[in-house]
Amino acid sequence: MAVKVDESARNYEHPLYDYLLRVPGLDVAVASVDQLLTWGATNSIWIFPMATSCCGIEFMAAAASRVDLDRMGAIMRATPRQCDVMIVAGTITVKMAPRVKRLWDQMPEPKWCIAMGSCAISGDFYRDIYSVIPGIDTAIPVDVYVPGCPPNPEAVMEGLLRLQDKVRLRREGKPVVKEERPEVFERTIHPKIGQYTRRQEKDADDPISIGQLESALKLQVRGFPLPEGVAYPVEVEPAKPVVATPAAPAAAAPVAAPAAAPAPVKDPEVKP
Amino acid sequence: MALIPTKAFVADPYLDLETYQADADLMTLSLGPQHPSTHGVFRVVLHMDGEMIVKAVPHAGYLHRGVEKLCEKLSYSNITPILDKNDYVSPMINEQAANMAFEKIMNIEVPLRAKYLRTVLAEMQRIASHLLWLGTFAIDLGGAMGGGTTVFMYCFRERELILDLFEALTGCRFHYNTHCVGGNRHDVPPGWSQGVHQALDLIEARLAEYLGMFDHPIFVDRTRGVGTLDAELALELGVTGPLLRASGVDHDLRRDAPYHVYDLVDLKVAVASGGDCLARYQVRVEEMKESARIVRLLIDNLPAGPLSSTKPLNMVTQFKATAGQVYVGVETPRGELGTWLIADGKKATSPYRMKIRPPSLHNAAVIPYVLPGHTLSDAIAILGSLDPIMGEVDR
Repeated sequence: MAVKVDESARNYEHPLYDYLLRVPGLDVAVASVDQLLTWGATNSIWIFPMATSCCGIEFMAAAASRVDLDRMGAIMRATPRQCDVMIVAGTITVKMAPRVKRLWDQMPEPKWCIAMGSCAISGDFYRDIYSVIPGIDTAIPVDVYVPGCPPNPEAVMEGLLRLQDKVRLRREGKPVVKEERPEVFERTIHPKIGQYTRRQEKDADDPISIGQLESALKLQVRGFPLPEGVAYPVEVEPAKPVVATPAAPAAAAPVAAPAAAPAPVKDPEVKP
Repeated sequence: MALIPTKAFVADPYLDLETYQADADLMTLSLGPQHPSTHGVFRVVLHMDGEMIVKAVPHAGYLHRGVEKLCEKLSYSNITPILDKNDYVSPMINEQAANMAFEKIMNIEVPLRAKYLRTVLAEMQRIASHLLWLGTFAIDLGGAMGGGTTVFMYCFRERELILDLFEALTGCRFHYNTHCVGGNRHDVPPGWSQGVHQALDLIEARLAEYLGMFDHPIFVDRTRGVGTLDAELALELGVTGPLLRASGVDHDLRRDAPYHVYDLVDLKVAVASGGDCLARYQVRVEEMKESARIVRLLIDNLPAGPLSSTKPLNMVTQFKATAGQVYVGVETPRGELGTWLIADGKKATSPYRMKIRPPSLHNAAVIPYVLPGHTLSDAIAILGSLDPIMGEVDR
């Protein structure tokens, strides 16, 4: 006799879970094992240090003797294939961003990302430079933001604790609140370079340059703050035997459409 | 295809791989830009014949942040924090280099107390920078140092002592912004000099301990004769700093063109003749000891008086320069950091052009000359001994 399974409550992360629960007495054992696995997953986060500049040195200090991330089970690995979390520490340039994306794609699921430092969060005062990506969250989804220039090693440790909470919630199947990019109230450089304004609004509303936009679009990322009058190129339907080719929308005029269709975003957290 | 080259391999950076050897089994290996031993985002394409490198092509630019262009758009008082991020292992000396150029073009005199304090800060930063280099170099050598991580942990423990003192002085662990045009911002807090003496006591005592760990036949085997750089080639490529002194050239800007109060301290310049990784290690260790001596000499004799000849207000219109150009060179832990500043009279509050001559860029230029003829494991040791900082290579 087929058992009716409530599809909405089904846990797809553990396919055998539903069946095991029907064995009398096994739910207690499974729950205990699951707690054990959750404990293990939260306390053995292996770090892939995507260290490019100053924050990388401070991250090394966090991993070294005084703060010692090792005691939280966070070990640095030099290959993305063994790691759970990528810590992006430092400025990401247009030349480096595709490499970061590629390394991120090589990491196995489930994976997380920590943006460490102002440059990785928003580009900081390099945000208007032609060669700098305004924040790594334009290229890969970020779970935890650790602000500072650079953040103290203690701040890195606090960010790792916040990530552990997220890992625990995800293991338990509870909803995880998406972190917002921290607001910048400091004086940063206005697009009219040389003048200064106190920035009171969120970074997401800032227009960015066309060059930065093109480089971000080459990364096939959505949810990018756009200047006025520019829209993302709409995905063209795959080839139908029609005489007229589907025209690209006029709104995407300043930006060349990317060659391949953007990859679908799998993580429900980062769905724009 | 030979694991060990039978005869001395003559390194040719412009080697044509098509005409190398007809029967050679060449392999291209891309080291970087994400590799823990490249010390940043640096990429070297290695063409290898078996285990031997026949050609090495460095690629830079993965951290290009347009600093020089940014400096043209900022006022003189606002440039200092930008240059902290240039050479992020020795930000103190980078601040000093820029501010010395501004003072020179504006004819602003620095008080003697600020000069003393700048010398002390620069030498403490040199110790911290060399400690970081020593730790990462031990990691690069890996198994030769019993895992390597031991020395890394020890070196960072001592580096924290110096960062604590800087934090007590400036409030920041890392990017200090403590220098301004005409002097320093932060005066020495009470009890700071005693703290400096205690930290130096600890560092000197523990440094002897590390040097005992480095005095090991495996370490000597992995560094002696590896990455030998001739003095002639080094001078031709513009190499400065510990690399040049390790090749036997007695050149140090602190003694040859003294700035601050280096003419009062009778600096002993460490020179080695090997030109290899072992000589670079010896030179840097000697520099650490010499820096500790200078700090001890000056910290108790800080002259009384004002710390700055101007008001450190951070106003955009505070400092104005007339037309002209200056060049200022300072000796960072990596070599000569030059700042070439051009001001036109039209926009008085910011430079017209600010060219930065980073020592790491010129030191990294030896890679195509030095790496060929070595094995891959030696390449890691050589890259570690060059100590390039990508923030100032790419700027």
